[in-house]
Amino acid sequence: MNTKRIFILGLIFLITTSTNALASDLLSGNIRAQGLRKQNNILVYLARAKGPLPSLQKEFVLDQNNLTFSPHILVIPEGATVSFPNNDKVDHNVFSLSRTKKFNFGSYKPGESHKVVFDKPGIVELRCDLHSEMLSYILVMKSPYYALTDKKGNFFIDVTGLAPGKYILKTWHEKLKNSKVSVKLPAALKSKLAIKLKRGAPGVLYK
Amino acid sequence: MRKTFFFTKSVYFIVVLAATQLIMPMRSWSSQKKNVSVIRGVVASQYGMVKDARVRIAGSKDFTLTDINGRFTVETPLFSGRPIKITAGKDGWFNNSVNAIPGNFDANIMLYPIPANDNPDYRFISPAVCARCHNTLAKYWDKSKMAHTTSNIKVLNMYKGTDATGQKLAGPGFKIDNPGQDGSCVSCHAPSAAVSRGGATDIESALWSPKTEWDGVSCDFCHKIRKVIKTRNTPSLFKPLMRRQTPYQGNSILIFGPYDDVVNPVMSASHSPIFDKGNYCATCHSQVKKLDGKTTWDRNKVYSDAEWKGFDIGDDSVIPVQTTYQEWKSWQTGLAPGDSNKGKKCQDCHMSWRKAMLPYDNYIIDGQARNMWGTKRDPGNIRPHQFDGGTKIQLKTALSMEMEGKINDGILDINVFITNTNGGHWVPTGDPARSVMLVLSATDSKGRPLKKLKGEELPAWTGVGKIENGDYAGLPGKIFSKVLKDGKGNINVPFWRATAVARDTRIRPKTTVTLKYRFKIEDPDDEPMAEAKLIYRPFMKSLAQIKKWESKDILITESAW
Repeated sequence: MNTKRIFILGLIFLITTSTNALASDLLSGNIRAQGLRKQNNILVYLARAKGPLPSLQKEFVLDQNNLTFSPHILVIPEGATVSFPNNDKVDHNVFSLSRTKKFNFGSYKPGESHKVVFDKPGIVELRCDLHSEMLSYILVMKSPYYALTDKKGNFFIDVTGLAPGKYILKTWHEKLKNSKVSVKLPAALKSKLAIKLKRGAPGVLYK
Repeated sequence: MRKTFFFTKSVYFIVVLAATQLIMPMRSWSSQKKNVSVIRGVVASQYGMVKDARVRIAGSKDFTLTDINGRFTVETPLFSGRPIKITAGKDGWFNNSVNAIPGNFDANIMLYPIPANDNPDYRFISPAVCARCHNTLAKYWDKSKMAHTTSNIKVLNMYKGTDATGQKLAGPGFKIDNPGQDGSCVSCHAPSAAVSRGGATDIESALWSPKTEWDGVSCDFCHKIRKVIKTRNTPSLFKPLMRRQTPYQGNSILIFGPYDDVVNPVMSASHSPIFDKGNYCATCHSQVKKLDGKTTWDRNKVYSDAEWKGFDIGDDSVIPVQTTYQEWKSWQTGLAPGDSNKGKKCQDCHMSWRKAMLPYDNYIIDGQARNMWGTKRDPGNIRPHQFDGGTKIQLKTALSMEMEGKINDGILDINVFITNTNGGHWVPTGDPARSVMLVLSATDSKGRPLKKLKGEELPAWTGVGKIENGDYAGLPGKIFSKVLKDGKGNINVPFWRATAVARDTRIRPKTTVTLKYRFKIEDPDDEPMAEAKLIYRPFMKSLAQIKKWESKDILITESAW
């Protein structure tokens, strides 16, 4: 009976602690950005964080429809492939002259698609020179510890497997000044970070 | 009994098999033909068969060319409930059509030649008339700068030497320097008045001309252009060849356009390939000045041989004032076959769809006219007439900027990369009064400016004073512009006073300019930062002040390191 009780108690303890570990592996926070109507699409990432790379998604799609690139911000790990299907009713010419990755597909028709492998971390600015309003960014990341904010400015970064210690949490948005905050893991997992950002010139992802 | 049953079954089996055999080849035949039928015919004229006429089903993207005997074959859907409109068009001929059902091998189309001569007594029709059917296109056009080139206050101020309040002798004016001349502004700013017999020759009177009840570059003017030819006799070095008014069917008028499938009783439409070519725009987006007598200028100080040759504007006695067309043309000519940018032309970017126009429309005419004469088209085969250029959205995406930095032994090195991303011409283009400025600042972590050791600075004419007032003289940065100078060495003079181009630092299409700066870091443990802004200025600050123009800089992009 005692053995059974100990076993059940042990099981309960294990379940409880493992659930806590899962929940606490998410570094969460909220961003308030000055002058932005929606608080989404702000990149939050741990710079210089090294850890075991989980099996990350390697294939992404950046769509073109109604004269819009979708999503507006696409965050991908280094080495990922992005497809650019033209699902619009008019021709488009996706290209980048960014130093991170230069390519130019030329004008292509609805129904056609092209692919590019992004093998270098940094910011890639996408354009369509037939439609000047079309603009999008692909952010190529060195490590998997990143997230984009939702409309309310909330973010959750999965830091599972990251060694305890001090890290620099950075932000990037096309219309906001970059910011950096020092976070200590695992202590920072217990509370929700609050970050305020100002409008201004965005910086680079990695110096 | 059993035998009979067996026999009956066998007969049924054979009949079914035979029927299947009969059906199968039919299915196979249909699939081979992809459910299409054909219509055949000839395109003829009073002079004989017409070779190389473009024939298509009205509104479709694909067309076929007639052979030497004027014959054509068009594939059509196999099952069509009603006759299909087959159209034919050729440069120099009115478009025409025939209604035919699939399988018709006698769908003949007669073409009539456009008149050989122009009619200088023709009176252009108002855009309001065109707007009755082409309402949406006319609305886009009305919002463009092209629609208001005559009443543009800045043009009138520069012409008369007035300011925005009407004050006379306020800064430079063409008429002040040249009281006895009218100039040639009207040829582009009021073109319909300029080419009408008895029309205005100076831009001020063009506004009151009885020949122009409207402003700007109007629909009827552009769609009366038959061809654009090279000449040495106009400031643009190009000249439109007009064919005006053509009583062909009742009261209809001759209208040139890109379509070879527009056939209706209101307009006598004629397909003209020039509407889909870059040199159509050369008539106005090109301007040179011929120096007096045998005067020349040293163009080698400003342009490379390849650039000068690419302009194709003449010898050293010619000053390139506005060369948007030449910039595009020389860029395109220099591209290797197969280059992704090869073949792009002005219309592709300046007459393309914008988000505000969505959802896409399949027609270029509206209302009742659409029901009567509308041709359904693919949106990609429609060119909205908003003529974007120098608009905020185009400027903001014309250039892009990136930065990189390095700290070493108390020195901060900053490299700025500025790329002409979207421009198919140099940026900024057009009027030499336009400029783009890079304004760079490097500060320590407390915001105190670092001492510059290396790198260009902005010139005095970007404004001496406070940064917050838009005065950037002396700051680290660079100006991208074309600077005209006169014989006395004055810079940024209006084109009629210019005797040379002092410098031309504008950014060539799809190329990147790298600017290197070096700053001294006082505290080696500090984390300095650099910030760069790219700013578009439509005209020099000093000119804006004297002319009392509202000067609004546009922030193209900004970046930090």
